[in-house]
Amino acid sequence: MAVTSGYLGAEKAHAEHEEEHDPRESLMYDPLPRGVMNEMVMDSMHTTSWKFWVVLGILAFLVATCFFYAWGYMIAKGLGVAGVMRPSYWGVFLVNTVFWIGISHAGTFISAILRVMKAEFRRPFTRAAELMTTFGLIQAGSSIFMHLGRVWLSYWMFPIPNERRLWPNFHSPLMWDLLAITTYVLGSTMYLFLPLIPDLAMARDRSTGWRKTFYRILSLGFRGTEGEWRHLTTAMNIFAFAIIPVMFSVHTIVSWDFAMASRPGWSSTVFGPYFVLGALHSGMGAVAVVLFLMRSTMKHMTYFIRKEHFDALGKLMMIVSFTYAYFFFNDYIVQWYGGDKWTDTLLHWLEEGPMAWMFYQMIAFNIVIPFLTLWNKRVRQTPWLLAIIGLLINVGMYWERYLIIPVTLTINRMPFTWKLYEPRIEIFLTIGTFSMFLLFYMIASRLIPLIPVWEVQEGQMVHSLRKVGKAQVPTVSEFE
Amino acid sequence: MSDTTLLALFEDIDPAAEAIDKLHEMGVTDDRLNVISGVPFSHKMLGRPHPWTNVSRLALGGAAAGFVVGIFLNFGTPHLYNVSVGGQYITPIPPGLIIIFEMTMLFALLSTFLGVFLDSFFPNYRPMEYVPEISDGKIGLFFKIPEADQEKFTSALNQLGAESVQPTEARQL
Repeated sequence: MAVTSGYLGAEKAHAEHEEEHDPRESLMYDPLPRGVMNEMVMDSMHTTSWKFWVVLGILAFLVATCFFYAWGYMIAKGLGVAGVMRPSYWGVFLVNTVFWIGISHAGTFISAILRVMKAEFRRPFTRAAELMTTFGLIQAGSSIFMHLGRVWLSYWMFPIPNERRLWPNFHSPLMWDLLAITTYVLGSTMYLFLPLIPDLAMARDRSTGWRKTFYRILSLGFRGTEGEWRHLTTAMNIFAFAIIPVMFSVHTIVSWDFAMASRPGWSSTVFGPYFVLGALHSGMGAVAVVLFLMRSTMKHMTYFIRKEHFDALGKLMMIVSFTYAYFFFNDYIVQWYGGDKWTDTLLHWLEEGPMAWMFYQMIAFNIVIPFLTLWNKRVRQTPWLLAIIGLLINVGMYWERYLIIPVTLTINRMPFTWKLYEPRIEIFLTIGTFSMFLLFYMIASRLIPLIPVWEVQEGQMVHSLRKVGKAQVPTVSEFE
Repeated sequence: MSDTTLLALFEDIDPAAEAIDKLHEMGVTDDRLNVISGVPFSHKMLGRPHPWTNVSRLALGGAAAGFVVGIFLNFGTPHLYNVSVGGQYITPIPPGLIIIFEMTMLFALLSTFLGVFLDSFFPNYRPMEYVPEISDGKIGLFFKIPEADQEKFTSALNQLGAESVQPTEARQL
C-alpha cells in the first residue's frame, strides 16, 4: 500500500483543497484602485455590440405586440378573449402576479437580509438583485391590472370619497394585497435608489453630453460629504431592517388570497411561509440566471462576479430548496391525511390527471434537481450550470403557481362545473411581461452602474490578509 | 482679510486623518472644515465630530403618522361608508392589524427617504466645491483659512502626504 500518498489519497485531496482556497481569488482580497473599477464599470455600460441591439429590438417588438397591443385588444374586446371562465376565474394573470412577486423577493433577500447579516459576498451583486425586485414588481402590478379587466375602474380600490357610497373593503385579502404591494413597490424602489446615488455621482463625473445631464439630475448634487454619507447610510440601515418584514408580509398576504378561501387545496395555515419560501426559491434561481448573463455578456464582469459568488448563491439556493421541500411536504401531508373528499379528489387529480406532468416537473425542478446537484461545489462554481438550475427552479415555481391557481380551481365542490382552464390571450401577455422585464434590465444595464462600486471598494478596504505563522489568513474589520 | 478655501487631496485615510489633526492644531475649527470621500468613513476614523442626522427621527415620525393613518382607514372610514358583508363586523381587529402594519411601514419608509433629501438638501444643482477625483477613491479636505496663510497650510499638508493642496472654487457638478 502506498502509505506515502496518504490514506485513500487524502493528502492529495487536501492539497487541492488548499489550493482552491487561495483567498486572493476572492474579490474582497483582490482589490483594484477605485478609479480602475470605476472605469471598468463605465466601460461595461458604454460597450454595446450589434447583438445587444438585435436582442433589444426583438424584445421591444415583443413588448409592443405581446404586451401593449394584446392588452389593448383585451381592453377593447373584454375579458372574453382570455381563457378565464367558470370555474377558473383566476388564470395566468394571477399566476404571473404571484410569480413576479416571487422573483422580486430575491432583491430584498440579498440586499437587505444579507446586509443586515453582514454577508460580504453580497456586495457586487446587490444592485442586480434589487433591480430584479423593482422590474419584477412592475410586471406583477401590470398582471394584476390585466386581471382587473376594466382597468380604468381600478381607482375603485382607493379610498376616495365619492357620492356613490363606494368604499374599499378592508376585510378583503385583495385590499391587503393592494396595500402590501404598493408599500413593497415604493419601498424597494427607494431602497434601490439610495445606494445608487454615489454611483450615479461617479457616473456623472465620467460622462459627457446627455449622459452627464442624466446622471447630474439623478445624482441630486451628491458629493460625498460626511453629512451626506451619514444620512445615506442611516437611511440604508433603516431600509435594510424595515423592508424585511414588508417583504415577508407581501408574499404572506398573496398566499392569503388563496388560503383565506375555504376550498380544497387552498385552505391551509402553512400557505404563508410556504409562499415566502417559494418566492425566495424562484428569486435566488433568477439571480443565478441574471448573474450568469451579466458575467457572460458584459465587459469586465468576470472581475466583479466570480465563482465564489456563484458558490455562495448555490449554497443559498440549496438551503432554500431544503426549506421549500419541508413546507411543500408539510402542506401536502396534512391535506392528504385529512381525508376530505374534495381535497382527496384534487390530490389524485394532480397526481394522475392531465396536469400530472406539471406536478412531477414541479417536484423535479424545485426539489429533486437542486438536491442532487447543489451539494457539489463544482456544480455551484460553474456559472452556466448554476444558471440552468436556476432556470429550472423558475420553471418549476411557475408550474407550482399554475397548479395552485387555475388547476386547483378546476376541482371544486360542484363537479358539474369542472373544466380545465386553457389560457388564450394570456399566453401573449405572459410573453409580453417576460419580454418587458428583460427589456428593462437590458436598458438599465446600459444606463445605471449594475455594480455598486463604492460598496465593493468599502468591502475591499475592510478585508485584508494577515500573516499567522506561515499562512496568510483572511481577516475582516468592523467598519461601521 | 479675505478667506480662501483650500482643497487637500489624499490617497489614504491615515494621512487624511493626520491632516485633520494638524489642521485643528493650526487653528482650523471643525465648522470651517469639510471632508468628502468616495466611501463612507466614520467620524471616529477621521477624528471628526459626530455628524447630526434627523433621518431616524423622521422615520419614527413617519411610522407614527402611518400608524394613525392605518387606524383611521380601518376603524374610521368604514363607518363613513358602511359596507355590510354577510353580517361581519364593520371594523374587525385582525384584518385591521394588517392595514395598520402596511401603513406604518409605508410611511416609515417614505419619511426615511424624504429624510435623506431634507437633511442633505437634495436635490442641489447649484455650483459646489468638488473634484471628480473624489469618486476615484481620493479623500478631500476642504477648509477655509485666511488668504495670507495659504502657503503655510500648503506646506504643512504636503509634508503629511497630501497629493495636492490648492485653492478651489464652487463649480457646476
